[in-house]
Order: sequence, then structure tokens, then C-alpha cells
Amino acid sequence: MPKVNVVFFASLKEAIGQGVYQVTFDFPITIGELKQKLAKELENGKALLEKGIQSSIDFEFARDADRIPETVIEVAFFPPVTGG
Amino acid sequence: MIQVQHEDFQVDDLYKGLLKANKTGAVAMFVGLVRHFSTLPKENCRFELEHYPGMTERNLQVIVDEANARWPLLDVCVVHRVGCLAVDDQIVFVGVSAAHRAEAFQACDFIMDYLKSRAAFWKKETQGTESHWVDAKVDDEKSLERWSN
Repeated sequence: MPKVNVVFFASLKEAIGQGVYQVTFDFPITIGELKQKLAKELENGKALLEKGIQSSIDFEFARDADRIPETVIEVAFFPPVTGG
Repeated sequence: MIQVQHEDFQVDDLYKGLLKANKTGAVAMFVGLVRHFSTLPKENCRFELEHYPGMTERNLQVIVDEANARWPLLDVCVVHRVGCLAVDDQIVFVGVSAAHRAEAFQACDFIMDYLKSRAAFWKKETQGTESHWVDAKVDDEKSLERWSN
């Protein structure tokens, strides 16, 4: 089973205590399902289930219902953005 | 031009880069700065900007492409700083050149609105020994509705 890079940013990275995690999972899987899996797997993973946590698949914004393609390289989770 | 960088930027240089000989009739520009966010002296305050290398640049390109699709623009320049900044430092520059002012103003406004809510940047404010990540504002998300038509 291939390993996929999952990266976290900003307050979520601090809450989880790490910026990168390598995960293995079976396809098909959605972003929402991966989030639930990581919430159980990571020591402080519950932070992923907080309201407003956003995600991306290979640098494109994604939603919980989006399926992760088998060609995936990187999934990210992060709090709402605050640039500008 | 789209640039995410640690270094400060010179508005005059970016402005000159937007000018197209014999074509430009209007340039609209916006500069965002770090305002003093604490009652402590500004020397005791720190401001950090984190981004997601690879995604942030892509987000900005999508926003600029959409602006170019909506209005006839001559050039667009977006520069956003990341890393450690201080109160009064420049954070972001958005400049748009066009033949006429209406599209320059609107496109500049549009790009800033989307940059606030659709580009992977996160702000952290530190006052003395206390730090917190800045929350996204509901008004920023609502502001996007202006562009839905």
C-alpha cells in the first residue's frame, strides 16, 4: 500500500504537534473519511474535526466529499486562510 | 507577476512594471500593512505569515486568471510577503493596469477579496510572550458574494 504525505499548517500543525505525516489507506477514500481516520490515528488528531478545517488535494482546495485520486501525492489540512 | 517572498517590496518599482507604453490609461494599486494590533509597544509585537509553498502560488494564479477573464486588463502584479514581519511593515501589493479606471479598480478589489479567502496564507500575532493565530473573518467570506454575478 503506498504512503501518502499529509501536511498540516498554522494552528492545526501546532495542535497536532507535527507538520507532516505519512499515511497508508485503501482507495476509494474521501477527504472526510481520511480526516476521521487521522483523527483516530494521531495522538492529537481530534483537532482535525474542529469546525472550519479546510483541505486540499495536490495543492487544490478540496471538500470533505471529494474522493482522493489514486495518483495523489499530497493531502493538506489547515484552518481557514487569513492572508492579505 | 505573482510573487510570494520574505523580502520587502518597492511600490514604485512594481508600479513601473505595470505600465505598458501607449496602452495604459489607469493603474489601481492596493498595499496591505501590519497595523498595530496590541496595547504593548510595537517593539514587543511580532507578526508572522505562514504559507503553503506550491499551493499558495497556484491559488494566486487562479485568482489572477479569473480577474483577467472578467476584465480586459493589461497587467496584474501580486506580491505577498511571508515570514516574520513587524508593525508598519508592508504585507501585500496588488496592482492592476488597464486602459480605463473602472476595470482597474474592480479587478484590484476582486483580487484582494479572493486573496483574503482563497489563498493559503495564515497570520499569527505575538504580543510579548502571548501568541495567537488570527481567525478568518466572516465578513471576508461574505465579501465574495459581491462577485457572484
